[in-house]
Amino acid sequence: MKDVFTMWRHTQLVVLVALSAAIYAAVLIPFQGFTIVPGYISIRPANVFPVVFGLLFGPAGAWGAAIGNLIGDFFGTLSLGSVGGFVGNFFLALLPYKMWSAYFRSDENIETNVNSGKKLGVYIAVVVVASVVCAVIISWWVALLGFIPFQVTLPLIVFNNAIMAGVLGPVLLLALYPRVKRWGLLWTEIMEPEEVSASSSRLRGIGNVLVWVGGIGGAVVGLILSLTGASPMGASLGLALIPFLIVIVVGAFMLGGRDQVEVAQEMIAGEGEESEA
Amino acid sequence: MDPSLYLDRDTWVHRLDPRTKMFLLLGMFALPFVFLNPFYELAVLALVLFFGYLAESLVNLRRIWFILFMILLVTTILWSIIGSGRTPLFLFVEREALFYGLSTALRIVITVIAGMIFLSTTRNEEVAIGLVRLGIPYRFAFAVSTALRLVPTIVATGLTIGEAQRSRGLDLDSGNIIQRIRNHLPLLVPVFVTTVRSTNVFSMALESKGFGAGSGRTFFLHTAMGGRDALVLVAFVALLAGSIALRMAGYGGLEGFTR
Repeated sequence: MKDVFTMWRHTQLVVLVALSAAIYAAVLIPFQGFTIVPGYISIRPANVFPVVFGLLFGPAGAWGAAIGNLIGDFFGTLSLGSVGGFVGNFFLALLPYKMWSAYFRSDENIETNVNSGKKLGVYIAVVVVASVVCAVIISWWVALLGFIPFQVTLPLIVFNNAIMAGVLGPVLLLALYPRVKRWGLLWTEIMEPEEVSASSSRLRGIGNVLVWVGGIGGAVVGLILSLTGASPMGASLGLALIPFLIVIVVGAFMLGGRDQVEVAQEMIAGEGEESEA
Repeated sequence: MDPSLYLDRDTWVHRLDPRTKMFLLLGMFALPFVFLNPFYELAVLALVLFFGYLAESLVNLRRIWFILFMILLVTTILWSIIGSGRTPLFLFVEREALFYGLSTALRIVITVIAGMIFLSTTRNEEVAIGLVRLGIPYRFAFAVSTALRLVPTIVATGLTIGEAQRSRGLDLDSGNIIQRIRNHLPLLVPVFVTTVRSTNVFSMALESKGFGAGSGRTFFLHTAMGGRDALVLVAFVALLAGSIALRMAGYGGLEGFTR
């Protein structure tokens, strides 16, 4: 996951962090969408942006989603719960771009423009797992603080993130990907291969499985513990879910991402040779 | 429309170093967790409101009162239903569960009001410089401060685009949930494109001014922690220590509550 740190060397990506954060926060405020739990959870159109930012801007999108969610809290509900929102939204944007190439063979097109049936299927899969992981992180945190029970927040956050990203995301990516590529702002075109973690196809597959296990496992175990009253909340539930959070992070580390950058660099080099010819 | 909570006043709270205010904010996030009893939480709330009064920032409560009210209501009801206790109150609600719900609701409200006071008394530039002085890398602090500055502009852009699209027949309120969600696309795409297309120009402007050229950056805004900051921090640490001592002596707890 060294790309989340090395990206700060590139001014374009620093600017994209700021712009992504600003867009996310700005769209959160006026377009409140539909309120589910007043003061806590609303279905907000802006929830599509973390996944889209991640697929287009990579680590810059992840930081932008995290900071944007925090800034959105600045305009009314900044509290200790915002820490969970920061980390949860970071992973909501990080996982889609990290997991993307794990579903494709080396001879397939792995651009994140969702312009084929397979790409749409992969998109839905990464949206689902990223939404679950985000929900597990946020629900774990607010349950640890004793604010809201795990079984209340988890399904609402999963539903909120997945439905917005699932319905709006593909169309948004189809519209935005060509533009972002033309502007030279795809993360795979800005970063250098050595700045991104390398990972073999086998390791990516294992990392992919670990993220699914950590996310779905954490959700199921958390729900069982909180619904049955086996874990009285707070520290007990918090401790019980830590192994799943560790599995998610380990899986994310194994996913690499350098292959996507190398493919993009080859495409740019190829296009450059064609234009010279 | 300015969504920012900052209030341009000249109070001693405004003049505190941003790092002091950040430490106070973290402390105010921790203080409500010392107690479980709602009456003690009310005392902490009174303290926070008094601090907000001194900072002349309570006027911002008008903007978030509905959120606070709903948090109080929903949280209290939720824990009253889910929790259980020894003393039946009415129907299936026990007194200890109700008290726990109230206590949790007050904790959340206290942290939100503390956040509101922090944002009411700290400019965006001070937030950025405070982060840098605390050792956060400048580029990260720059991204945060830039995003904070751009939010009102993008909100205005978004509202303008919304009005323009509605004048062209965009209807955000009718249809089933999927249709209503899809109807937001004509708003999201222009907001995104309008903002992101300036990235390259923005980057070139930054680099032409030496952004990231070297370490040891200087700042236009000067901040320094003084005697007042030290006094405030010592007073708060004493308050926190006293609260913890009170709790350890057996006060402020909530006996009989279970999940």
